[in-house]
Amino acid sequence: MNDEMEEIILEFITEAEESLDKIEPSFVELEQKGEDKELLNNIFRSMHTIKGAAGFLGFQSIVDVAHSSENIMKKLREGEISLSKPQMDVILKSVDMLRLLLGHLKEKDGVEENVAPLVQELGDALKASISGSGKVKDPVNPNAAAAPEVKNPKPAPVVETAKHNPEVISQAAPEPVKITEPLKAPEDAAHKTAEAAKPSAEIHDAEQKQHEAAPESRDPASQKPKETAQNLRVDVNRIDKVMDLAGEVVLVRNRLLNISNYFDFKYAEDPMAEILMETVSFLDRVTSDMQLAVMKIRMQPIQKVFSKFPRLVRDISANVQKDVELQIFGEGTEVDKTVIEHIGDPMTHILRNSIDHGIESAEERVAKGKPSKGKIVIKTYQKGTQIVIEITDDGKGMDVNRLKKKAIEKGLITEDEAQKMTEEAAVDLIFLPGFSTKEVATELSGRGVGMDVVKTNISLLNGYVEVTTQKDIGTSFKISIPLTLAIIQALMVEVGGAKYAIPLSPIEETLKVAKKDIKDITGQNVIVIRDKVCPLFELNSLIGIGSNGSGDLDYKYLIVIAIGDKKFCIAVDKLVGQEEVVIKTVDGVDTTSSFILGATITGDGKVVFILDVASMSRNLLGITKG
Amino acid sequence: MTDLKMKILVVDDFSTMRRIVKNLLRQLGYENIEEAEDGAQAYSKLKNGGYGFVVSDWNMPNMDGLEMLKKVRSDPELKDLPILMVTAEAEKEKVITAIQAGVNNYIVKPFTGEILKEKMDKILERLQATK
Repeated sequence: MNDEMEEIILEFITEAEESLDKIEPSFVELEQKGEDKELLNNIFRSMHTIKGAAGFLGFQSIVDVAHSSENIMKKLREGEISLSKPQMDVILKSVDMLRLLLGHLKEKDGVEENVAPLVQELGDALKASISGSGKVKDPVNPNAAAAPEVKNPKPAPVVETAKHNPEVISQAAPEPVKITEPLKAPEDAAHKTAEAAKPSAEIHDAEQKQHEAAPESRDPASQKPKETAQNLRVDVNRIDKVMDLAGEVVLVRNRLLNISNYFDFKYAEDPMAEILMETVSFLDRVTSDMQLAVMKIRMQPIQKVFSKFPRLVRDISANVQKDVELQIFGEGTEVDKTVIEHIGDPMTHILRNSIDHGIESAEERVAKGKPSKGKIVIKTYQKGTQIVIEITDDGKGMDVNRLKKKAIEKGLITEDEAQKMTEEAAVDLIFLPGFSTKEVATELSGRGVGMDVVKTNISLLNGYVEVTTQKDIGTSFKISIPLTLAIIQALMVEVGGAKYAIPLSPIEETLKVAKKDIKDITGQNVIVIRDKVCPLFELNSLIGIGSNGSGDLDYKYLIVIAIGDKKFCIAVDKLVGQEEVVIKTVDGVDTTSSFILGATITGDGKVVFILDVASMSRNLLGITKG
Repeated sequence: MTDLKMKILVVDDFSTMRRIVKNLLRQLGYENIEEAEDGAQAYSKLKNGGYGFVVSDWNMPNMDGLEMLKKVRSDPELKDLPILMVTAEAEKEKVITAIQAGVNNYIVKPFTGEILKEKMDKILERLQATK
């Protein structure tokens, strides 16, 4: 029973948080659209539901906050008061408080929040707007406000009944809020109405007509037996366990493939060898399907993250007195759960940065001939095996020379390096730890962390960020993240007798080149590919294993890597083949400096390092060495 | 006298609430409990037959409790199905509307197992009496 209770509480926390996530963008939308009935309904319903469930579980603070907030929503919904900014602010505060309270429940830290001031504030806001609008006569007790509705001619049936059966009204409606007493009243009432059903038939009809006259969409929707998706809440750890096991199966499958190939080759005559091949190839297909299916369990619409942004943009822009509109596209795109968990922070940072540094003040914008309202667009889509998120603002863009100057002043780069730096590389300076273009970090962008967090978080997801900026047109951040994080396609290569895996997605092509074609330009090896110069790095020197006789080969295999707009080649001794690998993190390996992403077990049972080409691109090309 | 094998449908859009109500019903000895997320889903489940009782929330997306109630009452196959509506205290004025639409009884959140039992027993008793 105790376990059961605990599970229910956990479920409540998750569900309540989800509800808040869902309604939060509605507030901002509401503010923009004015009083939209549907939006108000949704918000009201969520608050109401949270309150109801919290009541059962005895979370009184949550009940109090949700109740006071709901009171305002209710009046708004019924059109008795109209929406104002101070009201919205206090409602949003109550959402924050609910989150805080849920957070305490989740953490089980036993911390009690004093909700009385907020409840007071909510009550005051309601009173203020009621007396302001003058629509309701009795503003003293918001609970009692239910009663005057009977006088309101809008819900026609109620008035009708009042004529037919005054007793019902007197017994049920104006009862005080006490729970036990009024429970009995409607029972009798039910009885009576049942008997009096005939006279009230016309009401029924009238009501039905009203419904029919209303948008027809309601009825067809309900007549079709709707197939609603059945959901099951499962502990993430269990899913991750399945994911892990699926990964292991992939590894075993790979080994089996190797072994069956060997038998097929060695015992080509034996019919059993063929059966083995068939069986293994069936296993191969099933494993791939399973992997995909397991991966899908972990996928969730990215909306989960995005739903916080309208509110965030509203608050930040209000804080710096800018007017910014946020447009979101592709929020239905599904991404891995890990992405959902880790993409929020970097995106928040980019948004803050755009509003704080990118978007100009209204006057400045008008002076430039732009609309006074700034705009930020978030676009998400799937591109091949990558999920792409673009965050574009229409602000002033970044000043490359200023970026360079700042970086020199901060001692992050030398004058010499700055000179040689390409424009793209200079823009990337913003991602260096300790870099901030404003001398005094504002309250928002400040917080003691810089844009370097963006890069770090995204590379944790095996993704990368590209920045493009144009003066007075704006800045665009493009984040690319692989669809799945645990299992990737990799190219197996060999250098100095050791095997390495390179993730396949950023590989553009592989080439076999004669050693003499590799040129040396001011100490940097390069190769010309179709008239384009591409920097070249030897894998053995990159990972510090030194050369191992590979220098004697006449030919080199080059792997051309393209990350964003940047291209470079890695030279290896041999290409071994393509393999599906399961990324396992390696303890004790500094993944930021070693170019090692993790390790995997290959088809032949060996442990192989997976190379981190994104970090190579960052470290090798960010500042081209002289 | 109450049939504990009776199939009960719990309708609520909030899964925690469904679970709480289910838990209470189980404590009362009911075993055969199904769930629906909104009025529309509930109605299509009810159409499949076999239900002896419905405990429904009021405020739900798509089709709310009242709409479902009206649909059920106007359906010749389902019109006598007992429905207990769950509401919050602030919605009492709505109860009248529900009574008109033919709800058998209502129960105010939060409620205990005993109150739920009392309500259900009353409804079922009355139903037996009219038969």
